Amino acid sequence: MSSSSSATVRRILREAGIGLALLAMIVFFAAAAPDFSTHENISNILTQITINLILATGMTFAILIGGIDLSVGAVMALCAVVAGRLLTLDGMSEPLAVALGVAGSLAVGMGCGAANGWISSFWGIPSFIVTLGMLNIARGGALQVTNARTIYDFPDSFNAFGTATVLGVPVMFVIALVLLGLGWLVLTRTVFGRMIYAIGNNEEAVRLSGHRPLLTKVLAFTVTGLFVGIAAIVYMARLTIANPILGVGFELNAIAAVIIGGTSLSGGRGSLIGTLLGAAIIGVLANGLILMGVSDFIRQIVTGVVIILAVVLDSYRARLARG
Amino acid sequence: MDRRTFLAGIGAAGVLSLPASAAWAQLKKPVVGLVMKSLANEFFKNMQEGALRHVEERGDCTLIPLGIQSETDIDGQIALVENLITRKVDAIVIAPADSRALISPLVRAAKAGIKLVNIDVLLDANALKKHHVEIVFVGPDNKEGAKMSADVLAKALGAGGKVVILEGNPGAANGVQRKEGFMESIAQYKLDLLDSRTAHWETEEANTVFSNMLTAHPDIQGVMAGNDDMAIGVVKAIEAAGKKGQIKVIGFDGIAAIQPLIKNGEVLATVDQFGAQLAADGIDAAMKEIGGQTLTGWVKTPMKLETAATI
Repeated sequence: MSSSSSATVRRILREAGIGLALLAMIVFFAAAAPDFSTHENISNILTQITINLILATGMTFAILIGGIDLSVGAVMALCAVVAGRLLTLDGMSEPLAVALGVAGSLAVGMGCGAANGWISSFWGIPSFIVTLGMLNIARGGALQVTNARTIYDFPDSFNAFGTATVLGVPVMFVIALVLLGLGWLVLTRTVFGRMIYAIGNNEEAVRLSGHRPLLTKVLAFTVTGLFVGIAAIVYMARLTIANPILGVGFELNAIAAVIIGGTSLSGGRGSLIGTLLGAAIIGVLANGLILMGVSDFIRQIVTGVVIILAVVLDSYRARLARG
Repeated sequence: MDRRTFLAGIGAAGVLSLPASAAWAQLKKPVVGLVMKSLANEFFKNMQEGALRHVEERGDCTLIPLGIQSETDIDGQIALVENLITRKVDAIVIAPADSRALISPLVRAAKAGIKLVNIDVLLDANALKKHHVEIVFVGPDNKEGAKMSADVLAKALGAGGKVVILEGNPGAANGVQRKEGFMESIAQYKLDLLDSRTAHWETEEANTVFSNMLTAHPDIQGVMAGNDDMAIGVVKAIEAAGKKGQIKVIGFDGIAAIQPLIKNGEVLATVDQFGAQLAADGIDAAMKEIGGQTLTGWVKTPMKLETAATI
């Protein structure tokens, strides 16, 4: 009991540290760039981090269980073009087309995720390799489905969804936040969630205690895929196109958000609250540097420095915690 | 053995399905290798399809169309050129992924007696000169095209109009040339350039980067986007900011998805480079060279300004 409560304290301290870093960044940009703290800009930042936040929420499941998913950007493109095809089918009512499109995207995402999880855990292949393969399959599939063309002309009601706001907050961001909350409940309050942490910490111990990790691993990767399917829908509604080459490199941004958020790349340690903070840090940084007029090249360098800094700080904190 | 390899090579180009007599006639036809960039790019996909159609219409040559995985897979493209040298093709028509890195394999091809035609992106002239090789360039003038598109915006805004630029990949030759064209238009019409940033040709990135530019410069009146994908991202950002109709946008490439935006006035203009026609013109040039003519310099291919009036 006492060890678990000290672990909770440590976790809260870690998240507080990341939160402080975000706060410092916000204070800095608010002082350095006059337009930063306007209502419009805050709303912009929320829109801009939404896709990465959804992908990173899903990615947190894969990383917590001790894996990684390099295929999310490519699978997102496959989800989008399949949904795009369904959305633009002739002779369908708008609500039916939208329902089919959303269902198609989620099904493709979950299917690819389940395949990633099953192949890597059934044959004991590192998910790094399996998802690298899936990256190529999904990207090739997306190109095949579209013959490399951009799909457009979605129903108006679908496109309107992408820019809708509630009390000045983008609806898409609210959805991402609700999903993150649900994910947090699953990870912290369910057997499935606790099993993910247990497997990420010590898969062998889980096996020896008589549990079979296979199903949990497949499910964790399926959740990652589900979030990819949701991100694809958000992308399409916001930009009103589906393009087979979209999402290149998105996996790296999602991984960066998870890692900056304090989740350990070796699994078993971290939280979705951290992921939210990590995604916010990346978004605020990109936004603030542009508002300050910092050049593209410097902006890229600064982003890289922040990622390394976050990981260094995390290992420093871990060492402190061990005493 | 040699002939069998040759037949296998031709077979790969998809001609063995012809009846035997026709296949023999086919063997005497010159073989042209078409080396493109990424076929994941709509522009090159159109190019490939246009080239295949054109060769079928000509009927006097065999085409081997090849593409690489991604726009920046320079190594992969060098390997493709080397393969074509090994297969002893008669000519290579190439859209280089890099204007310098491809020169040494192309020089090897020239020494092997293969006729060369450069399309799309211009090879570095100085590097070619060093190797004493001259390669004809068949392609559009990206700079002139970008200026055509930007001029529409400049005339709509008038002197002092406040504009921003969204650039392509830093270092990509076509991206650099398009920006030069934009800058020329800005200088000529005395526009006020507030900011210029890359969005790596990408819709989503353009959407994000432009929203941020707009926050920093709420008085932006016009946007010059280096390609249509980025122009689409900009249009969505303008809509989201509630400034529909207040900010004018121009693009480049003339992809299908931009057409409805031009029709409804959200995009003023784009420039179609006729990707399909480009490879066909390159193949025609290669056939002339195979026929004994020597082509040099720049054969400019047509571009068309697309506006609401032309669609």
